[in-house]
Amino acid sequence: MADGHLANKKDETKKKFKRAPNKNYAVKKRLPARPVEGGNVIFITKKTNFKAQLDKCCDLLTKGENEIILHGLGAAIQRCCNLALQLQTLFAGTCQIEVNTGTVDVVDDLEPLTDDLDYGAQVRHSSSIHIRIFRTVLLGAN
Amino acid sequence: MDENQFDSSLGGREHLPQEANSLRFATGRSIEIAAMTENILRPNKTKLIFQTLPVHMRRRVMSHNCKRLPRKLREAHLEQLKKSGLPPKQKRPSRKYRRRPGNLLSEYIRRQRRIFWLETHIWHAKRFHMIERWGYKIAYAPCDKAFRACYRATSAHCLIQDISYLIPIQITGPIGTIKKSFTTMTKQECGLSICAKANITGCREGSVHLYKPEQYPYGYIGKVDYLWEVCNEIFGTLWLFVHPAFSEEVKAILTKLFILTNLHYCSDDKYIVPTKKKKPIENLNQEENVNIIFLPNVLNRFRLTGPKSHAIMASSLICVQQNQDLKNNEWVSLLKDNDTNIELEEKSSYWQMLKEVRSSAELPPRLVLGLIVKDPRLSRPARRTKAIKETTCNNKLNSLLNIPNFAASSPLWNLNIHENMKSKMLSNTQFIERITKTQIVPGEIFENDPVIQSVPIILVQRPGSQDAKLKKIGYGCGWDIIMPSGYGLPFWQTLIMFGARAGGLREFESIALEMGECYMPPDCNSGIQNEIRIEKELKEKYFRLPPNKRVNYIKLAINSPFRCLWKILLKDWCNEQIQEFYVLRDKHTLQKLQESVDKKRPLSEWTQGNSCLIPVYLQIVKKGHMNCHAIICLPKLGDFEETAITEPLHNDPNARLRKEMRQSHRTHIKSVKRKNVKLKKRANKGIRVVPCIKKTSKIVPSEYVMKMRNLWLPPNVENVRNLCSREVLGYVSQGAFSFSEARSCGVGYIAYNALRTLLENGLNRVLIRNTSSRTYRMAILHIIVS
Repeated sequence: MADGHLANKKDETKKKFKRAPNKNYAVKKRLPARPVEGGNVIFITKKTNFKAQLDKCCDLLTKGENEIILHGLGAAIQRCCNLALQLQTLFAGTCQIEVNTGTVDVVDDLEPLTDDLDYGAQVRHSSSIHIRIFRTVLLGAN
Repeated sequence: MDENQFDSSLGGREHLPQEANSLRFATGRSIEIAAMTENILRPNKTKLIFQTLPVHMRRRVMSHNCKRLPRKLREAHLEQLKKSGLPPKQKRPSRKYRRRPGNLLSEYIRRQRRIFWLETHIWHAKRFHMIERWGYKIAYAPCDKAFRACYRATSAHCLIQDISYLIPIQITGPIGTIKKSFTTMTKQECGLSICAKANITGCREGSVHLYKPEQYPYGYIGKVDYLWEVCNEIFGTLWLFVHPAFSEEVKAILTKLFILTNLHYCSDDKYIVPTKKKKPIENLNQEENVNIIFLPNVLNRFRLTGPKSHAIMASSLICVQQNQDLKNNEWVSLLKDNDTNIELEEKSSYWQMLKEVRSSAELPPRLVLGLIVKDPRLSRPARRTKAIKETTCNNKLNSLLNIPNFAASSPLWNLNIHENMKSKMLSNTQFIERITKTQIVPGEIFENDPVIQSVPIILVQRPGSQDAKLKKIGYGCGWDIIMPSGYGLPFWQTLIMFGARAGGLREFESIALEMGECYMPPDCNSGIQNEIRIEKELKEKYFRLPPNKRVNYIKLAINSPFRCLWKILLKDWCNEQIQEFYVLRDKHTLQKLQESVDKKRPLSEWTQGNSCLIPVYLQIVKKGHMNCHAIICLPKLGDFEETAITEPLHNDPNARLRKEMRQSHRTHIKSVKRKNVKLKKRANKGIRVVPCIKKTSKIVPSEYVMKMRNLWLPPNVENVRNLCSREVLGYVSQGAFSFSEARSCGVGYIAYNALRTLLENGLNRVLIRNTSSRTYRMAILHIIVS
């Protein structure tokens, strides 16, 4: 038991700095908080088919949406950029891009694997990108 | 001449006697009396009852409609009708009569005598296919074929299901004793034990796999959710929510474990019991001071799944903020002194803070929150609306990290208040009258009305998927809401009016499949019962088809199309008889297995593995579909290069036999018919003979039909492994198109030795073949760790 307590103390000091795989806890992810949702807001994921999301954006823009907002988090940032650049080439001259970057706080839950431990939680920071694509030439103008 | 006849007083000669001897009088007329009584007792047999009536009492349709007869004659009349062979037809009462409230209610009570109804039964019965399962009438699926809509509700909106059939069991006693007893039923390897520090504070719900005492890994019972309601460090109350499929087993085992001596049924007036059939059972072990109460139908529990469930909860629940508002509720006075500190203000402000969150997946996992809310009818919108939460994006992340201590406590656990609460609840009529007539502004809702009582409820959060590798984070998240009996329908209707979509039992199966969880595993009794039921249904369906529309499973080399033969499968993979088998639930081992599957690392030999099944989640890689009972096969070398692998057609030796049998049966029937015709002719001539063929009932199939069925599906299966060109590793027990993966997915089980062979061959993909197809499809394999 004494050894176990020592190990716990070690872990507590550790877990503030490092998200290492741990024998006592399993790391479970929570859903990150989302910014304002809407019809023209698209969250880019790694799992969804790239082409499908591109088509969705094209559809929105061609069907009269003045601006669409793409959000990418963590590993999906690159995809988000790619998508925006693709859209830029597709709608060359009619659309402009505004890029913002930020940080999103996400929560990881520490689920205990042994009986004598309680749940824990830690905050992790993840980079995010928010791209606004807006039309400069309105539909029907030409 | 006439003089002789006159009485002497009138001047005649006849002298009447002074007294009449009644006995002599009667004996003188005995023959007449006998004839008369004979006539009365045995009336003329040629007459029907109604013909004995005087003409003025006869009515035209008397013989058809017995109601036209005087009541005292009806019974005899019906008897006569039965004898004459005419079934007495009773006309169904008119709909208008049947729908009168009193008659309707008595009818409902009659129908509940055999099987139990949930509180929302009538709401469901109008919109759902209802099925009988586990002693309850449960909604199976909505009538509007809303399969995809229900999926969409779970992934983007909100799906609500009534799970009030879960049976709460309250165990009160010293924590040490409870822990000691449960260690025999649970195992450390399968996850946290029932007295884990994480759950014992009552802040979070937990779940355990229950096994029969000292039989691990065999003797699996099922997965049970539990909540702690702790009074102090030593003494506590545990609430188990047991599925009715195995509640009887759990009941028997708990009674044995705690050596409950004092088994008796509670008196009815102690707890609210809707019908007399399902009584709470209270058991007391006096030595150890452990008290167990089984409380069917005392609590209602609804399950809300989907990201919008939080918004729906936020808009339908209005917290009571001050103790003053509660004063008028009678149930508050029934609480004990130490329970009256309900911490209303802290709770309502905490709920206010939680409301800001967009989805319940952002909250602490499995959080338990006891609230006291106002009557749900007060917050109900006039039309069905979608609850939308416009959140202000303020950063309160730190307050969501941990659960405050006051969150879990709730007066709902106190059983004394339930009856009072139910009796003091306003019925819908009273509620509407209250709102429309007694208010100063009719129809305007006054929330703090003292007559309308507040309700204690408990919310339990479900985190949904927590691993992005398997499923998008937060899929299947939502809330469970527990409320006292009587309040089921008001809450249900409010939640529906805020845009929740109702689902049934089918959605449990589909959600489990989408999440990649085992639903009714094959090593427990409930799972076996389920398999038997499915097999029966499918078999009936199969044999209802005309022979030329039936799939010939012999040609496809499938010998058990409607049931997975786990025992024979395991026997084939270890070459010894298997008495019992089990599904592996040891988390550590399963994770190791997953690692070795990922890295194609061969497994070591394991003696216990002979009777062990590994739960796997399967995803079709490219093309193809996966159904229930599909076989999981071992690929051969070179299979991955080919586009389509097909099973060669097998020879069906039974086809010839079936044909011969059919022909001989046909000739037999023809000859019998001919004989019968002859006999009939003879009978017409006046000779009475018994016909050759006895008409049997249609429910029991004849011997010929049974033989024929056995030729279609041979009953004695001895070998499953080497039946087709690829070796069989296991079976898919649940398989369908998964909307969240956009491909066909399934949950199946593989023999441990089979998995070993697969990995020895350096493979981590398998082939899958449906029971009705010859094509093998490729699938990826994940081990289910849960």
